[in-house]
Parts: sequence; C-alpha cells; structure tokens
Amino acid sequence: MKKGKNVDVLTLVILILVCSVFGGIAAVAADEKVVKFAGDLPGGDWGYPSPFGFYPRGPGYIRMSFGFDTLTWKDQNGTVIPWLADSWEMSDDGKTWTFHLHEGVKWHDGEPFTAKDVQFTFDYIKKHKTSFKWFQTLGYIDHVDIVDDHTVVIHLTEPFAPFLVDIAGNVPIIPEHIWKDVSDPVKFVGDKAVIGTGPFKLLKYNKEQGYYEWEANEEYFKGKPLVDKLISLSVNDPALALTTGDIDETSFWGRRAKAVSAFENKSGFGTRWGPSYWVLKVIFNCERYPTNLTAFRKAIAYGINRTELVELVVHGYGIPANTGLIHPDVTEWYNPDLPDYEHNVTKAIEILNALNFTDTDGDGIMEYPEGGDLEFNLITLDKFSREAELIKSQLAAVGIKINVKVMDMSTVDGILKEGNFFMVISGHGGIANPNILEKPDWPGGTCKNETYTALFKEQRETMDYKARKELVFKLQESIAENLPVYTLYHPKMCCVYRPEKLDTWFFTKGGVGIGIPIEMNKLVFIGEEEVRPAPSLAPAASASPGTTSAPTPIPTPTPEPEQPGFDVIFAITGLLAVAYLVLRRKNR
Amino acid sequence: MHRITKITGYVAIILVVLSFNFFLPRLMPGDPLSFLTGAPGMDMPIVLDEETRAKLLTYYGLDKPLSQQFYDYMLGILHGDLGWSIYHNAPVSDILIGALKWTLLLVGTSTALYMVLGILLGAISAWNRGGKSDVGLLVSLLSIGSFPPFFLGMLFIILFSVKLNLFPAFGAQTPFMGYSSLLEEASDILYHLFLPATTLVISHIGGVYLLMRNSMLNVIGEDYILTARAKGMAEWYIMRKHAMKNALLPITTMIALRTGFMIGGTILVETVFAYPGVGRLLFDAVTYRDYPLLQGAFLIITLVIIAANFVADMVYVQLDPRLRHD
Amino acid sequence: MTEIKDLNRFWNAYKESRLGLIGLAILLFFVTLAVFAPYIAPYDPHEMFKPMEHPGSDHLLGTNDIGQDILSELIYGARVSLFIAFFVSVVSGIIGTAFGLLSGYFEMFGFFLMRIVDAFLAIPRLPLIIVIAAFMRPSIWNLIFIFIILGWPITTRIIRSEVLSLRTRNYVEAARMVGAPDTYILMKHILPNVFPLLVVRLIIEASHVIIAESSLSFLGLGDPTAKSWGMILHYAFVYPTIFISDLWMWWMLPAGLCITFTILSLTFIGYALEELVNPRLRGMTRI
Repeated sequence: MKKGKNVDVLTLVILILVCSVFGGIAAVAADEKVVKFAGDLPGGDWGYPSPFGFYPRGPGYIRMSFGFDTLTWKDQNGTVIPWLADSWEMSDDGKTWTFHLHEGVKWHDGEPFTAKDVQFTFDYIKKHKTSFKWFQTLGYIDHVDIVDDHTVVIHLTEPFAPFLVDIAGNVPIIPEHIWKDVSDPVKFVGDKAVIGTGPFKLLKYNKEQGYYEWEANEEYFKGKPLVDKLISLSVNDPALALTTGDIDETSFWGRRAKAVSAFENKSGFGTRWGPSYWVLKVIFNCERYPTNLTAFRKAIAYGINRTELVELVVHGYGIPANTGLIHPDVTEWYNPDLPDYEHNVTKAIEILNALNFTDTDGDGIMEYPEGGDLEFNLITLDKFSREAELIKSQLAAVGIKINVKVMDMSTVDGILKEGNFFMVISGHGGIANPNILEKPDWPGGTCKNETYTALFKEQRETMDYKARKELVFKLQESIAENLPVYTLYHPKMCCVYRPEKLDTWFFTKGGVGIGIPIEMNKLVFIGEEEVRPAPSLAPAASASPGTTSAPTPIPTPTPEPEQPGFDVIFAITGLLAVAYLVLRRKNR
Repeated sequence: MHRITKITGYVAIILVVLSFNFFLPRLMPGDPLSFLTGAPGMDMPIVLDEETRAKLLTYYGLDKPLSQQFYDYMLGILHGDLGWSIYHNAPVSDILIGALKWTLLLVGTSTALYMVLGILLGAISAWNRGGKSDVGLLVSLLSIGSFPPFFLGMLFIILFSVKLNLFPAFGAQTPFMGYSSLLEEASDILYHLFLPATTLVISHIGGVYLLMRNSMLNVIGEDYILTARAKGMAEWYIMRKHAMKNALLPITTMIALRTGFMIGGTILVETVFAYPGVGRLLFDAVTYRDYPLLQGAFLIITLVIIAANFVADMVYVQLDPRLRHD
Repeated sequence: MTEIKDLNRFWNAYKESRLGLIGLAILLFFVTLAVFAPYIAPYDPHEMFKPMEHPGSDHLLGTNDIGQDILSELIYGARVSLFIAFFVSVVSGIIGTAFGLLSGYFEMFGFFLMRIVDAFLAIPRLPLIIVIAAFMRPSIWNLIFIFIILGWPITTRIIRSEVLSLRTRNYVEAARMVGAPDTYILMKHILPNVFPLLVVRLIIEASHVIIAESSLSFLGLGDPTAKSWGMILHYAFVYPTIFISDLWMWWMLPAGLCITFTILSLTFIGYALEELVNPRLRGMTRI
C-alpha cells in the first residue's frame, strides 16, 4: 500500500515535468507585430517608466519617453523637429520662448492635451525639483504663461542657448488632471502615473524580472506606431538570446561589439553602427603632488598608447578620443585642432627628467626628486580593469610604477568626491552635448579653474551659434592643454536586429534627448517617411530578411491577472504536504 | 530552559545582524546618491548642485544623525516597515517579496530534491558498503559535487540551451506569455526552473549523500541493528525503520544550515541564469549603496536562516526519542 | 622517533585508499604547476599578444580578450588559488583549534564563545562576503582575511565537541587528578587526539575557500590583477560571444575544470582521511 502511494507522487512529479517541457513551447502565434529588445548589459530593470520613477540613466529615460512626449524632439540627423509644439519663436534677448502646440493631441485616458498641461508641468517640476532626477537645468525657467489653449510662453531668467534641446526637448509633459493632486511624485506609481501622450501605453512592468510591455497608442497624433507591442526584457547573454530568437534587437558597444561579427553576414539579421557618445578618461587629481603638475600629467599622456588601447582592449571597436571630450562626430561642436599627445616614451621620459624624476638606482622605476619610487595607485571599476592593466604596462615602460586597484562604482564615486586618489579611470556618456564641458573631471572635483568656469557660463548664455561655437572650442582647448583629464577612447556601438520584425532602427545624431546614445529614438517605432534611415546605411545582409531563421512563437497577449502560476505551485506543494501528513496520521 | 536560551540566542543574533548591516554600509565609501547622480562608468553625468543634494538627503532621511536614523530604522522594523528603496524607488517589502518568492521556489524545489535523493542514495550506498553500487555512487557523487555551481550552470547553458535547445537559458518565465490556463503558467515556470534547480541539486547533493552515508554506517554498527537482523527482519524494513530513521538525525541540522546558506548562495546561479531572486537584489543593493534595501534583504535572509535553524531544532527534538519527553 | 613511526603507519593506512591516492596525485599535479609555474608556463601571464587567438602552436589554449596566453594564465592561476586556499585553511585552522580547545576545556569561556560562533554561523555567508568585499576593496590579502573570519567558527565548533568528549576520558581525568597543569593536558593529551579531525577539517575548508574565491571572482568581486581561475572564468563569462561561439572550449572550460579537479582532489583526500579517523566508515574493501 505504501509503495503505491510513492508511485503516485512520482507519477505526478513526472507529469508536471513533462507538462512543463511541452507547455513552455506551446505558445500560440498571433497576427500582432511584437518587437522584443534587450539592453547590452544584464539587468533589464530601469525603474517605473513614469517621469519621476525611472532610474536616472539613459535607458530609463528612453523607456519613459515611449509614454511621454516633449515639446520638441530630435530626428535621425539630430535636427530639432516639432513634436508637441508645431512651431516656436524666440525673443531677441533669448529669454522668452513662445510655443504653438499641436491641436487634437489626447492623453492616453482620452482627455485633451492643452497649454495648461505645459504650464502645469514646468511649475510642477520646479516645485518638485529633487523628484525629477534627470538634468537639473530648470533653474533657468522663470515662469510659464498661457496665451490660449494651444499657445504657451516660457520666460527664462537668463538666456539659455541649449534651451530647445535641453529643456524643450527633454522635459516630459505630464497631464495636469492626474498630477495636480500628487504630493510625492516619486512614490506615485500605477496605471495613472504612466498616462502620457506618447506613442506607447505601458501594459505591464515587472521589476524583479526586468520586463516592460507596451502596446501601441492607436490614436497617436504622429500616426499609429509600426509595432503593436513593444517588449523590453532582461537576458543573461544578449548575443545568445538574439540567436535563439528570444529577442529581436539588442545593441553592443565597445569590446562587446565583437559579438556583432557573429551576425554580420548571417541572413535574418541586420546591423547598424553608431557612435556611442561615450568616453573613457583618466581623471587626475589636480590637488595632489605629483599629478597636480601639468607637465607631469602631460608626461603620462605621452606615456599612454591609446592606439594600442583601442586595438588590444576594444578590439578596434572604438577610436582614440578627442582630448577635448566632445565626440568627433558632433561636427557642430567638435574642435579638430587639439593636441593628441601621440604615444612617445622618450618625450614622456624627457618631461619627467626635466621635473627631476629620474631613475637613480637603475631598477627601471623612476624616483621622486625627494627620493622614493615613483609609484602610485590607479583606481578603476571592474569593467575597466583590462584598460587599467594595459596602461599599467605602458607606463612601466616610462618608469612609472602603477598599482591597479579595482573598486565598485559607489566606492570610486566616493573616492573621487573625497579627492583621495592620484589617477582614476572612469567613463561617461553625453559627450555630444557641450553641457558636458561644465565639469570636465566629473565626477571628480579637484580641478578648479575660474577662467574655465566663467567661459563655460558665457557659452551657455551666448545665443549666437558662431560665437558660442568659438567658446566651446576654447573650452576644449583648455581641457586638452591643461589635462584635468586625459581622454582615452570613444567606443563604437552597433545594434543588431531581425529586419523581419522591424528594420527602422537608427542611431540619433547627437543622441536622443540631451544625448542618450542608444538606438531607441521613439521615431524608430513610428517610422515617418522622412526619418527612415538612408539606404546607404542599410547593410547588405538585411537584403534577404528572415528567410531561414526560425520564427519564434509569438505569445498571445491576453491580459492575465498577475502571476497565478505561483499560487498554483505553492498550492500543489501545500496540498501534497497536507495529504502526506493526513496519510501519515492515519497510518499511526 | 534549553528553549529559552535558544530563543534569546536568536533574538541576540537578529539584533547583531540588524546593527551590523545598519552600520557597515554607512561606513563604506560612496552613498546612495552616487547612483542618483549618475555614478562613474555608467551613463551621462548629472551634475547636482549642493542645494539639490541636500534636499535629496533630507528626502531620504539621510541627513539625520546616525543615532536617529538607527532609532527610526529599528522602530520601522518593529512596525513591519522596512523602508523605501532608493535605487528601486519602491517599498523595500514589495521588492523583497517579489524576489523572495522566486528564491524560495528555487531553493525549496532544489532542497527537496537534493535532500530526498541524497538521503536515499546515501542510505543505499551505506547499506551496500564496499559493494559496486557503493563505490560507484561514492565516486560519481563526490565528482559531480566538485563542480562549482556557476561553472556547472554555464556548462548547462551551453549544452541544454545552445547545443540542444531544450531549455531556456535565462529568466523565470517566458516574458509576457499570455497563459491560457494556470497549469500552462505553472509548467512554464517549472520549465524555466529546471536548469537552475538542477544546478543547485547537483552541487549540493554530494554533501548530504556523504553525511547520510557516514551516519548510516555509524548506525549500522549499533547493537539494535544487529539485534533486528538477528530477529530475522527483512533488510529493507530494517533499513527504513531502524537505520535510516536514526541516521537522519545529523542530517536535519545540516539541511537547516545549508538552506540558509543557499538562500544567499543562489546569487551565483541567479547571475548565470538571469533568474530573479534575493541574491541578485542584494548584490545590486550593495553596488548602489541602497541602504534600506540592503538592510531589508539582509534581514530577510537572516530570518530565513534562523527559521531554518529553528525548524531543524524542532525536527531534531521530534526525531530524537531521548529529547522528546524532557 | 615515534613521530616518524606514526607517520609511516599513517601513510601505510592512507595508501590503502585508492580515492585518497587519486586525490593526492591530482593535488600534487596542481601543486607542481603552482610551484614551478615560471618554468612550466610558456609565457608571462601578463604579457600581451594578439587578442582572441584561437588555439594554435604559439598559444596552446589561445589568448584571452587582451591577448594574454590562456595556458600561462591557468598555470599561474594554480598559484593564486592554492595559496589562498592553504593559507586560509591553515590560519583559520589554528585559530579555530585554539578557540575550540579552550572552549571545550573551560566551560564558562566555552559557553560565551559558542554564542559568538552561533552568531557567526547564522549570518549568511556569501551575502556577508559580498558586503565586506565591496567595503574592503578586493585584494588577495583582503579576501584571505574575510575567509579566515568566516572559516574559524566551524572549526571551533567541531574541535570543541571533540574536546568535550575527550575530556571525560579516563586518562584525561587521571592527569587532572594528579594535578597536571591545564596547558599540559591540553597540549599533551587533547591536541594529539583532535589532530586527525583537524586535518580532515583543513582539507574541507581548503576546498570551500577555493569555491568561495572563484565564486567571488566570478561575481567580479575578486582581485582582477591576480590571475586566479575564478577571474579567468569571470572575464570569459562577461565576454559577449562566449556562448554562441567555440570560445568557451578553450577559455572557459579549462579554467572551470581546474577548479573542479582541485576540489575533487581535496574531496577525495578528505574522504580518505575521514575513513582513517572514523574506522566505521571503512567498508569491507577499501576504495
């Protein structure tokens, strides 16, 4: 009798396992056009996609931008195009901007969008300054006036040159009828918090699994999106997920772009390259001897071989960086005439010798003029440890002994702010926008230069493009000459996609919004004629879209109450346990 | 008396853990705002002016003196309020529950499997000591148990996901699959659970097996087994009724310790299979210095461990006839 | 004199175990690699060549993402992994034994120490390591420190329970009767008797440390400038095409197998020793 019971349980377990194997595959295909994408790096959660809930990171802003619109937007060429505003005028002093809003725009809940919402948005964000964590340039806004239902006037305290991009093209407009009663926007989540005017409505968001699902906003004022459903998910290995068809698009950058070679000539896949507007740099401590000596920093710059760095560490998927920070692709701001400190060990040694650093004891390591080996720490993050290793060996040839210390992100941030370092390798994006020049050694803060700061403020308030460009050039010159940071490389970025699902992917020149480098401009999903990528960019492989690749089953998108499967499993386990206990009791 | 000492012990441990994980993160360099302002190596730099920074600190209650923060934190816990996660921007308890259910599913399933298998195989092995099956089991289980779990997981992905395409390589569910029935969803979850759970089972079975085998061998030498045999009882019956029951004693303690260890240790498997869970959550919390989440996650893991210990104690008392009638 | 005899007897008993011999052979192999790494390895593991070379005559196992010879990395990796393992197990063994002896012998001290040990054992190990590793900034010595901190309580508990049972033995009681000093009893009568158990414990601890070190490195919390096996696996795992190309065969697999075989050898040795210590485990035929 007892044996019989065991067998039953065993059968049940096997049954469940068998079911699971087949059940997982038995998804039903539907006519809907679904596009699934994943980021390059593991971790798909970028926060709740409300204007105050997303994590202050590019991918977070992008996910929010699917649901919310701004007054202006950027097309593929980086040109500012009308969005919620059809047209605009600037006053002569650059302090007053009048926007004529598009008529007939509706919020996701059907309410009409009006000038009042725009006024409310700026007032609200100003009031909750710390809640909107994405770029704090709102201090320039004095107040917003409503002229009529579809005209607003924004008054600035001072002229602000990058206004159209950094404010009008960046601040998501939120519906007054929903947010007017919300006192803590950060903690306001739920269906209402994601009601915007954008091309997609959020259907589901699952934090712990890092999944987002949007459905197309059929009544979008710029036209119905090309895809019915958009899914963002978290995978452990994007290249693998792309191969197995779990995702339709992802992007790789820097060294990781090596993965692209696996897809480049494979039918069923398209690739598109873009600049990442990202830079890796050495941050020097300008307050600590010996890195406070400009000549010393120059010697280190000559000692570092950036070409070798790009070849060995980035595998050629990058370019040696502009020493003035701004990405060379950004022709309107990039200063091409800066010194690039081409690798020159002799010169580096000469400079150091002139500073009285010499190798007196012949051990291959120079000594300080005061005595003692020229040896210090180079701090970096785990992901840049390869770069640090290479720089260590390059500087060893000059006679500088480097000890690489790898720490986690927050620690490095803390150390930079404390000023407790000599050299740190760190990187950041946003180098398509002259705004980045505000603090060249960000997130450090040891390099203070008053003339530089004044120059920066001046360019920000100069409304004439040519005059402003000259100032931006000067800022870059100052960085390249004084070397508060020495830039290393700009990685390239590539998106790989299945053209049969969607082939309108492009990289926005200058980055989306204030400069987010990823290929997720919402125009990709709306596909207006003029924003379709130029044919020359389309790779040969995409000419034969999706002939052989096995179509993945598309999940049926019936909305389901959240996760009852769990309860089932626990319930079954519970029932089994109870049954077992009851039977046991009986046997006694 | 014994029980009171134990319970005081548990309370003391919880207090130690609570204060430990309150103060340690605050001693680390960097603070939760590093992340909010775009920390190094990530994305676009967000330059925070001092005023905004101060306001943010106030908002998250980080500007209060440490003693006050500690008091608030303890008070919050007493009210069951674990606070608000700075990184995730959600209540810590919600995030923890979301992650914990997956971890418990993973750990629960694999613990059940490796326990049953390990105990059975250990008993069989001991009963046939020196025989072919014993040697075979011993060598093979010690061998497969030597694979580090993350390495095993990577091999599984290559074999079962890439080469054979049998099981999914990542996640806990097919993303947003519309399930037509509960059974379908349950099976999808099990389907995703298979590889991570198998990895855990394989890397833990060796220990239980060995302990069970040792424990059985000790028991088999005892007089009452010899007596039972002399009485002419069936071998299978002696094994189950007498030997196994007594040999199970030391196993319970081990399982309890292991379960606790696994709750935190699943982070490796979670990383390899991109499986949602507490381990990964904790890792992120450390990276982003998300104090409230870090404290919450640590607390939950410790509570699970202590609960496991407690259950083990109870079971031990139940199983050991000498202790039952105290 | 008696020591040598004992050792001989011990070896004679040990070599009866086939598993023990296999384990010892594997371990000796890795120890040889570690000790003679500079002579065995074809290159300096930090030297950089062309990255991502496939296996060939120049580089038997190819090169990694920054052009370092993978075979040389593996050979030098034995040094790092084994050094950490043995250093930690010996030091935490010494600390654990000292506390174990004292707490087993002196009751009050034992009571309080056991509460501390309980607390240590109830704190989740890996999460704690993650927090401390992030706090302390990874370097080999910091890792060693963490592992020692976490390793001693288990040893203490095992040694203590052995001491508790030894204390009631006749010869210990007798020694006490005649007024032998506590230190004398501990060193002369108790320590030699817990020694076999300690050796088993050291071996097991060593294998735990190897797993822990490689796990931490795998998670990116190790010392990236140290060429440990776990670090090799870490870089392989984060490489974008590791799963969809053949790279894993020469980059990931060998490092993983090195860890696996080291642990295997320690497990076998540990098992063989345990059989010696606990004769009941011995079957009719030794394996």
